[in-house]
Amino acid sequence: MDMMNRRNHIDIPEFYVGSVLAVSSSNPHAPEKVTRFVGICIQRGGCGLRAFFIIRNVVDHQGVEMFYEMYSPVIQKIEVLRLEKRLDNELLYLRDALPEYSTFPLDMEPEYLPEGSAIPVNPIKVKLKPRPWLERWERQELKGVQDLGLPKRFYERAAAVAKPWEKYDLMAEYRESIPAEEQEEIFAEVYSQLHQLEVTRKIMKRKRTFVKPKKMG
Amino acid sequence: MNQADVSKLMSRLKIKYSPVKRKLKNSEGPVGRAKKIQKTLTALIKHERIELNFNRADETRGYVERLISDAIRYGDCHRATMELADYWLLEKQLVHKLFKVLVPRFENCPVSYTRMYRAPRPCPGNHFERAVLELRGNPYPSLLPDTISNRNLIHNVLLDEAHKEYRAQKYAEIARKLEAADENVAKSSGDSDGPESSGLETPEEIKASTEAQVASEVQPSACYEGHGRGGSEESRGGTAAGNPSERAGLPLGAILSRASKRRVSQHR
Repeated sequence: MDMMNRRNHIDIPEFYVGSVLAVSSSNPHAPEKVTRFVGICIQRGGCGLRAFFIIRNVVDHQGVEMFYEMYSPVIQKIEVLRLEKRLDNELLYLRDALPEYSTFPLDMEPEYLPEGSAIPVNPIKVKLKPRPWLERWERQELKGVQDLGLPKRFYERAAAVAKPWEKYDLMAEYRESIPAEEQEEIFAEVYSQLHQLEVTRKIMKRKRTFVKPKKMG
Repeated sequence: MNQADVSKLMSRLKIKYSPVKRKLKNSEGPVGRAKKIQKTLTALIKHERIELNFNRADETRGYVERLISDAIRYGDCHRATMELADYWLLEKQLVHKLFKVLVPRFENCPVSYTRMYRAPRPCPGNHFERAVLELRGNPYPSLLPDTISNRNLIHNVLLDEAHKEYRAQKYAEIARKLEAADENVAKSSGDSDGPESSGLETPEEIKASTEAQVASEVQPSACYEGHGRGGSEESRGGTAAGNPSERAGLPLGAILSRASKRRVSQHR
């Protein structure tokens, strides 16, 4: 209910881990009271009003990450500059990757996709910096990284420590997820409102593109 | 809070399952637990009815239901489902059985695919609860006692008597209606020779409508059984539902003729 109320005031667009976002949030110490941060979404989590996402960018050769709660009233605008997915669910390995993979220009223009097309999956393979890393990336099944180039003992230890049976654990999977029938029930409750929001969003989009010609002189 | 992981779409389980997973006492830890469940699952799919300890049965029941529901949802051309089936079923011919026999059997099944019963334990023995786990539609005779065919069981005796009483009431009503209709017909034929006045039913219409009404009300409620009762369902269904008048003990014709002999014989 509260989430719907917030969505009535602010348009929270659809985005995934790997999309490039620009978030404008209110900041009392900024000259214009608004801070705009551009970056790639590396993680999404939380549930309900605590839902959060983390945005990463490299500014002045310094990696910066911003943590935003989606339903916080501090956030004024969320724009999706590039809507795409990556091969992994979490891109935390970008912290140990070369900075070029995390840099995005702060004045990036939004890239539009044709309406109704599938979300593109970026098959990029990121190159990591040499060890030491923040996490043992060889022990996680990461698809979006190039060959890590570690000595054999790392991979042997990873195989020894690995728990391959967890992949097939049907009941654990079920307990953590929401079954399809329940998802449909939940969605049916909010569908009508969300549909209206989408319709108004489309109307607003079209309204903005029309710019009245200004008199010169 | 925990964010539900909705990356995979799965069907709802139609059984009760415990929110905590059992470790299933074994020396190898989680690997051993997975192996135990694999063996039980394979055995269930192979034999379709197995007797084992309660905890193990309850644990694998969830896995069986999930595997079958995934097989139904995604079919056998889906790589992930095939890998799952390959992992859980230790005998590879059972993978064929799962996709070719069990999926069509349970495709339109609105209830759970498995049944679990508590089983008796041999008296001087372990204190572990026993259970019987079976797939619905298995070829063995049912484990539950047959409470329908034996009309001497108390609940059947009471039900039969209730039916008789109900039918007697209904026939009395029919008889009253027929007599009323008789009088109307006699009156109208006395007043004018022609079509009967509208608004009053003919005795035939009354008989047909009330017979249909009584037959439908006395019909036992249909309960879903699938292929459960070893093929004798149709015959039992016939005896249970087809002759409610015989169960009530009185043929329909005798009651009607008692009420209004004249009218019935004319229309027959």
